Amino acid sequence: MAAQAINTASTAAFDRAADWDALAVRARAVRRTKAVVLYAFLIAVSLPIILPYFWLVTIAFSARAGVAETAVLWRSMAVIMPVVVAFWLTVALAQSRRQSWIGIAAVAAIGVFAFALLVGPDLHLGNFIFLWEPDFASVVRSRIGEVKGAVQFPNVWHAFANSILIAGAQTAIVVTVASLAAYYLSRFQFPGRSSMLRSLLVLHAFPVLTLIVPMFLMLYWIGLLDTLFGVILVLVAFELPFAIFIMKGFFDAVPWDIEMSALTDGASRRQAFVSVVLPQVRNGILAIAVFTFIRGWEEYIFVFTFLIRNSNWTMSLYMYWVRDDVMGVDYGVVSAVGVFYLVPSLILYMAAQRYLMQMSIGGVKG
Amino acid sequence: MTTIADELTIERRGHAGSVARRRTNFVIFLGPAIILTVLFFVVPVVIDVAVSFTDLSRSLRISEFTTEQYEKVFRTDRRLSQVIGLTFIYVFGTLAIFNVTFGLILAVATTAIRNASGSFFRGVWLLPRMSPSVLYILLWLWAVSPTEAGLINQVLMQAFGLDAPLDLLTSAPIALIIISNGFIGASMGMIIFTAAIRSIPEHLYHAAAVDGAGTFAKIRFITLPALRWPISFVTIYQTLSLLVSFEYILLLTKGGPFYDTTVYALYVYRRAFESGQYGYGAALALFLIVIGVVVALLGWRFFDMERLLQRPRIEVH
Amino acid sequence: MAKIEFRNVVKRFGAVEVIPDLNLVIEDGEFVALLGPSGCGKSTSLFMLAGIYVPSGGELLFDGHVVNEVETRDRNVGVVFQSYALYPHMSVRDNILFPLRFKKTPRDEALARVTAAADLVRVAELLDRRPSELSGGQQQRVALARALVKEPQLLLLDEPLSNLDASLRLSMRTEIKSLHAQLGVTTVLVTHDQIEATTMADRIICMRAGRIEQVGTPDDLYLRPSSLFVAGFIGSPPINLVAGEAEDGMVTVNGARFPVEGASGSLTVGLRPEHLRIGDTGFAGRIAQIEPMGREILYVVETGMGAVRVLEQGSSAGHSTGEQVKIGFLSENSLVFETERQKLIAGAHVREPV
Repeated sequence: MAAQAINTASTAAFDRAADWDALAVRARAVRRTKAVVLYAFLIAVSLPIILPYFWLVTIAFSARAGVAETAVLWRSMAVIMPVVVAFWLTVALAQSRRQSWIGIAAVAAIGVFAFALLVGPDLHLGNFIFLWEPDFASVVRSRIGEVKGAVQFPNVWHAFANSILIAGAQTAIVVTVASLAAYYLSRFQFPGRSSMLRSLLVLHAFPVLTLIVPMFLMLYWIGLLDTLFGVILVLVAFELPFAIFIMKGFFDAVPWDIEMSALTDGASRRQAFVSVVLPQVRNGILAIAVFTFIRGWEEYIFVFTFLIRNSNWTMSLYMYWVRDDVMGVDYGVVSAVGVFYLVPSLILYMAAQRYLMQMSIGGVKG
Repeated sequence: MTTIADELTIERRGHAGSVARRRTNFVIFLGPAIILTVLFFVVPVVIDVAVSFTDLSRSLRISEFTTEQYEKVFRTDRRLSQVIGLTFIYVFGTLAIFNVTFGLILAVATTAIRNASGSFFRGVWLLPRMSPSVLYILLWLWAVSPTEAGLINQVLMQAFGLDAPLDLLTSAPIALIIISNGFIGASMGMIIFTAAIRSIPEHLYHAAAVDGAGTFAKIRFITLPALRWPISFVTIYQTLSLLVSFEYILLLTKGGPFYDTTVYALYVYRRAFESGQYGYGAALALFLIVIGVVVALLGWRFFDMERLLQRPRIEVH
Repeated sequence: MAKIEFRNVVKRFGAVEVIPDLNLVIEDGEFVALLGPSGCGKSTSLFMLAGIYVPSGGELLFDGHVVNEVETRDRNVGVVFQSYALYPHMSVRDNILFPLRFKKTPRDEALARVTAAADLVRVAELLDRRPSELSGGQQQRVALARALVKEPQLLLLDEPLSNLDASLRLSMRTEIKSLHAQLGVTTVLVTHDQIEATTMADRIICMRAGRIEQVGTPDDLYLRPSSLFVAGFIGSPPINLVAGEAEDGMVTVNGARFPVEGASGSLTVGLRPEHLRIGDTGFAGRIAQIEPMGREILYVVETGMGAVRVLEQGSSAGHSTGEQVKIGFLSENSLVFETERQKLIAGAHVREPV
């Protein structure tokens, strides 16, 4: 009998009641080791990333006379690392919510105090001089007694405006065109629909960077090279297949019933699209908009290749040339420009982070 | 009362109206997308093919049609084999070390700890992806700066007692481009694998624990089998994107020293825009375009065609 | 096999205390059911037994040893999860084999035991299939085989029948019970279904909001529910509960007055539908609704104290809607509770109004 076979085999295996205590001890050790190893590993691999970013910020707010000062970096790390560890310990060890709040408040207070004491006196905003002094290069150079050969930088607000214009126009066009096309592909039956969807699938994964040479020639021949309009058109076209693809996913998820009921209520399909379906995909539109904007804001390679005059510089080119020219002369100003350029990106990413997953599938960056 | 003739006209007019509406809808909804796509995808590919058969160079003037560019590709360009070899090392090195393996390790590690801490570490690893490329590479240039001020040199000299500062940009440029791209690539794997791990039902892990599996057995028997699909997805997509992208390398090393870090895509760029050999660049680019299309076609396997092609349920326009 | 003991066990998730103080002994070889509505802490208790959750306080003992922190894999428990939790990428054979992999059982012996376990739950012919190719009932059996193959000292069943259809549920009930009889392994069943609990378990632990309401045999819970909650939870269709005031040996419930013995003050009277009958004596009412249930018929009768459910044997209705009837019962079947404390008053009964 099967049941007996199982029973007889079992008796021998369970004379181990005595080692329960040993097992408990081992389990506790294993649990602790696992947590320690995991956290140690993650902290170790995250430090190389945190450190440079942190350095950038500390230089931007503390460097004087152009020297890349690391003393402030190490000092602020000396405050922040213990504070972070203390935070973790408080949260992990606290017995109740009340205790953990008190602990966090205490740690924060001590941290702020130590930071103000050790780092506070070194902080200043002088490195953000480029924001109000268009000819900051000369100022910076005159500080170290060198006057010749300063690159003429355009006003930073000019580059800022160019970037906003490119990213903004690109976003507006992509969102509009992609929503229209995606809705049609998702909801209308027409001859050639399936082959169009198949080519969309290929296009959305197609690496546009490979087209940079013919694109350059094309822009040159139609006279749009070195114009913002040309760059905007190119960027729009390149973002489009991906945006359509993502938007189609959002439209596919809208229940058919509400559209059908709009039609029976007397709306045409165009009216149903505008008044009933579009509001349903608001999240999709937001996601597409934010990510397209980020791409425009960060765009480097196409603007570097297609834009030449410095009045057409975007923030990425401004950053590039500032680094290239001021480098070795004033780390402080370069860092300040970097912080100025980085912060909008980070804010937008934070705002749209819950769509990051969708955007990663099919995105070709990195 | 309507006669039969009246009804016919109404029906015919209705029919004509619906055809007209069908056309306007098509133009309104799909027109702009189609025009832009044809203009900026189809036309450039055609231009690329055409230009690859000319001697277009710095003067941007075509004087003759020739197959000389392809002769160069297959016969005379000695540097090309070195470039292709480097490309292989770069693509597969980055992919194997960072995009897949390290992405996987990060995903597993950050999902094994408390959620808030896990998101924090994932956030840190997303920083490189969230930074504009110019800025990200600026940090690298500072970190590896050959002077004593470089961050890596500072750490090495002060903490590990190194005597003279290292110049990593000249001594280990290939490792640098792999690591700098890998830091970004790992985060994509991390995001996708994290989502995949999250979607594994928790009771499977409970069942495995009940059955006697330890941490590594759980990863091997539960996590990895569930990640087979995402792993091949990441592999294919990242192969393609590593193959064609050169932005970070251009910013970090400009392809140098000399041609030491010039991968294929960057070689195309340098030939066209540095040396002004647009014809030759176009010929080289054509191979990348073909690879791009092939890999994009491979990507089909990852999409649920059935769902994508699902018939619309409203028939009128 | 093992004797299980919960000693002042507490379980918190963050600030939420799911189980405030649990004390319970499960004897070696017993089949007990943890019964209660969802969120009552029964699954939490089961997961603490399995080692998936660690108690926040108190002690959990196996054979007199504290096992609070012992890892799941060292406890040698078999668990059948509500969703079966079969490994989707492994064949049925590999699924059942999986636990033996970690016990370093020699390959031949392991395979023999897989076959034995598969025979036991009658899935021998399915060994090469994938879980996705199995029906719900088959998956259930495989999950059982996987739990049993390692000869656990404790078998835990988490709502094992809730995903099966009604007829399959009936046969699995019998099978699990006979498996327990054959193997004698200590078994804990978690369920929200009172029929499952009463039909399968030797002893039922009825839980509510993390506390034990009553422990007893199915008969105890049905005939002598210690509280209003247990009375209401056990029995289908549910018991009729009416609240009233007792004075001078009479309970007044709205209009109706029952003679009462052994109790006074604010009382709640419990009368099970199957203990009521429509006849010549008792309290008056009007039949509002008739629900044929196959072998029985449920009458909903409007009376002076509200709607009362009466269950009568037989497949065809002997009465019609709108009919004026009288409802009677035997005094020993009535239950009387203190309304305030919601507790049963032992030995107290009401009689039909005269």
